[in-house]
Formats: sequence, C-alpha cells, structure tokens
Amino acid sequence: MEEKQVEVVVVIKKITLILLMSFGFVSFAQKDTLKSYKKKVLETVEVDMLLGFYTQKGTHASVTGGIGNEDLQNIAPTVVIKIPLNEDDVLTADFGFSAYTSASSSNGNPFNTGASTGEDREYSGGDGSGSGGQGPKGSPWVASSGASRKDVLTALSLSYVHATDDRNRYWSSNIGSSYEYDYKSFGFGGGVTQLWNEKNTELSIKAQVYLDQWIPIIPTEIDEYEQFGSDFLIDNQSYFSGVSVLNSNGASVAEYLPSKFTPIDNVNRNSYSFSLGFSQILTHRMQFSIALDLVKQEGWLANPLQRVYFSDKSNYYVGNANNISNYENPSNTDVFHLADDIERLPSTRLKYPLGMRLNYYVNEYLVIRSYFRKYLDDWGVDSNTFQVELPVKFNMSWKITPSFRYFDQTAADYFAPYNQHLSTQDYYTSDYDLSAFSNYQVGGEFVFTDVLSKYGVWKLSLKRIGLRVQNYQRSDGLSAFSISTNFSFVLD
Amino acid sequence: MVVFVSVTSCVSVKEYNRVYLNDADMALKAGLCERFETTYHIYREAAAGANGGKTGGGCGCN
Repeated sequence: MEEKQVEVVVVIKKITLILLMSFGFVSFAQKDTLKSYKKKVLETVEVDMLLGFYTQKGTHASVTGGIGNEDLQNIAPTVVIKIPLNEDDVLTADFGFSAYTSASSSNGNPFNTGASTGEDREYSGGDGSGSGGQGPKGSPWVASSGASRKDVLTALSLSYVHATDDRNRYWSSNIGSSYEYDYKSFGFGGGVTQLWNEKNTELSIKAQVYLDQWIPIIPTEIDEYEQFGSDFLIDNQSYFSGVSVLNSNGASVAEYLPSKFTPIDNVNRNSYSFSLGFSQILTHRMQFSIALDLVKQEGWLANPLQRVYFSDKSNYYVGNANNISNYENPSNTDVFHLADDIERLPSTRLKYPLGMRLNYYVNEYLVIRSYFRKYLDDWGVDSNTFQVELPVKFNMSWKITPSFRYFDQTAADYFAPYNQHLSTQDYYTSDYDLSAFSNYQVGGEFVFTDVLSKYGVWKLSLKRIGLRVQNYQRSDGLSAFSISTNFSFVLD
Repeated sequence: MVVFVSVTSCVSVKEYNRVYLNDADMALKAGLCERFETTYHIYREAAAGANGGKTGGGCGCN
C-alpha cells in the first residue's frame, strides 16, 4: 500500500515538473522556498465527483440537412481532484467521459433496413422495384442502427497553479486531451493573474491553444461517391449496387451524382484564444468582473457528417416512392433524400465574446448573481446572453438557487434551411445551431453543505452535495432537459 | 479607461471587512455543476467564450 502511495507521489511530482518546465516557471518555484509560515493556497486534497445527464428533442437534425429527428441523450461522469503540492502550488486533474446516443448522428448511414448494420458494407442490393419493397429504407425522422448513433468522448486535463508568497500573483498552466470516434483534441495554455490595491483589483491574462483533428465520417451516399466515382450506382462493390434511386416523381433513375462534393483536404481544426480578465471590488457587498476573449479558429470548421441539399438541383431518394411527397412530415419512416454535398464553411473564424459578471450580497439569506455576454464573430453571428441566479440560504446547511438564462443570436451568413441552398454558393450549412433563434433556460440548484460531516469514502469526507436541474426551450422548437449532481469530498 | 481608473482609485475594502465578499456565492465564476450546461450551450449555440468555459477544442465547438 505504501509502495503504491510512493509511486503515486512520484508520478505527481513528475507531472508537475513537466508542467513547470513547459512554461518556464521553475525559477518562480525556486524563489518561493521560504521557511516562514504561509497559509496554504489549498489546505487539503479536494475531490469532486460529478455526473451530468442531458436529453433533447427537436426536428431540425443537421446530419439530415436541417430536418429530422434530433433526439439525443448524453451522460457524463467526471472526477476533479485538486492536490496541494506545497503552500504555494496546486495541481488539478480533471478526468471524465461523455457518452451519447443521437438520432441525428445515427443517420450518417440512414439505411438501416435490409442487411445494413451501419457504417459497414453488408448491404448487397435492393429489389429494384422503385416503390419500396425489401430494399434499403431510411428516414430523417427515424434513428438508424448505424455505428455513428452513439459515441464516447474521453477527456483528461491537468492544470497547475503557483502563487507567489504575497499571494498577489498567480501563474497557471494547463494541458489536456480528448478523444472520440471521429475527433481528437489536444490543448495547452498558460496565464498570469495579478492582484493589487489591497487585493481589491485583479487583472488576468491567459492564452490557450487547441490542436484538433477530424477523423472524418461522411454520409454513406457521399462516401460511396468518393470511393467509386461516377459509377458508384452500378459498381458491384458499391453499397448502392442494385439499389433503386428515385426521382421526385418516384421513378427509378440513374442520374443521381453529388458532383459538388470534393474530398476533405485538411482534417485539422486549430483554435487560438487570448483572454483578458479584470475584476474589482466595488463595496463590501458588491463586486464585478469583465472578460474579453479573442478567438481564432482555422482548419476544417464544418462537420463532415452533415448533409446539405441544393434547391437548384434535382432531388433523388431511396426507399418508398409513395412517401416522397410526405418527406418533410415526421410520419415519413421509409424514404430518404440523398445528399447533394456535405456542409462547407470558411476555413477561418474570428470570435469576440465580451462577458460581465456583477454579484451583490443582499443579506445572509440572499445573493444576486448576474451575467451578461455580448458575442460577435466574422461569420455574421451577433448574440446576447443574460443570466441571473438567486442563491437563497435557509440555514447553514440548505440552499436553493433558482436561475434564469436568456439567449439570442442572429444566423451565420452561410445558413439556410433544408433544400434552400444554391449549388453556386461556396459555403453552406443547414445546421440550426447556426440559425437565428432565441431561447430561455429555467432551473435551480439544491445544495446541502455539512462541513462537520462524518460521512465519507476511504479517507475522504463528504462536505457538499449539489443537484442542479435545468429546462431549455429554443424558439425553433428544440427543447432540452439536464440534471447534474456534484459530491464534494475533502481528505481528512 | 475612465471607469477603470475611477473604480480602482477610490475603492479599497480591507480584507477583514470582506465577510460578505468571501461568501461562496459571491465568486465571480460559474459553479462546478454548471460545466455540463456550458458544454451543451457550446454545442447548441453559435456563441461561446467569456464565461470561463472552453473557447475551442471538440467537434461541437462552433
């Protein structure tokens, strides 16, 4: 047991040393080896165990070009451990999973009838009748059994904070990575926070870099076109070999060709951000902060799995010809519109969010917490966010915090609904997350705190339990519900 | 700049007088449980940043 603890300490020390050397803070650490007593930045090890559950419903699935089933469920267990390394230094490890099932994503391959089982290539043909029968069927309104219907994101990050002896300056650095089926991300950053005016005023500067990469998954019909070229409807090896492709009248034709598609030439997506923060105590009951982020993203900023349909191109379908006229109705369960292309967006994006917080301590029972954000970017999105929380303390242990959040945004320049883009455009998306909408979110959080609690696990004492519930309603019809819990422990 | 100079030059609340400001609910940051909301906001909305959350990284970050 002791050997294991020694090994853990050695590993922690190694990680800390790497972080220190990476950002050139070794010199600061060496200067702060005073023998005199200093209050620790963090007194003891703190462990937070969190669990989040999210579910949504909507009718504008982006994978199927802006219409279709958007049902999604996500569950995300996370552990955050803060470890005081000495009086001045704190290491934080943040590890979690995020597992989801998504009707929209499942329709990367919507043809889940017949022998098809998803992204594999087991399907060997339809009946060629042009009117349904036993051939492949799919619908934007029905979740497919395709492999892309679910995924698990795994994420790990480490951050390190060093405080100077007078606690007027804090250096921080972080490194982290995440991985999922079609995407991987690596990030690192660093910053400094300076306090002055008897710690009434605080200024912080932070830089962050994410170096991400797509492992592109594209819609089945586009994927076949990419692999077999213009013969993909007749090539024996193609998924569509022997399958009836229907025109708008339901007649079987061999004209479908997503010729606007060109292969993804850059799988990288990098983000660079520079953040400036300022906070100020205004009175002994009120303080505020301002945060400005400047963010540049570059690379493949579109999602390769998301379809786009052009209004100036003929429409082609696979499935039940009798349901083509009913395509946009959720009662359509067996005909699918073949894509004209995948989503395409500019290779750069500049974002300018400015956020402000103002908190006011009314009395021992009530605090008012408020937040406002103005957001602009060079894709034409202009957004406002306002949030207010009212923590109400019943006694030393129980607290309830009702909250309200309002959000609105204008549409990105490249957004148009289902089947309304033109093939002459350079950039296009039917992702409703980039459309114009407003939403409101109402919810609350219950917190139970017991600093003297004797309940715990191993040497960890449970000090706080939080339960947060939120209801989210968007003006385009998307609705969501989330519930999250937090169990906070400290090491005895 | 005027606001910056004025608020930093005329206000100084001593540390021993910050019992209200040190209340956990007065922290100028989002709570730990809010991280899940921040994540789905990043996925479901085009705007992100300036709230302590991620400014990039992940395929859902528009």
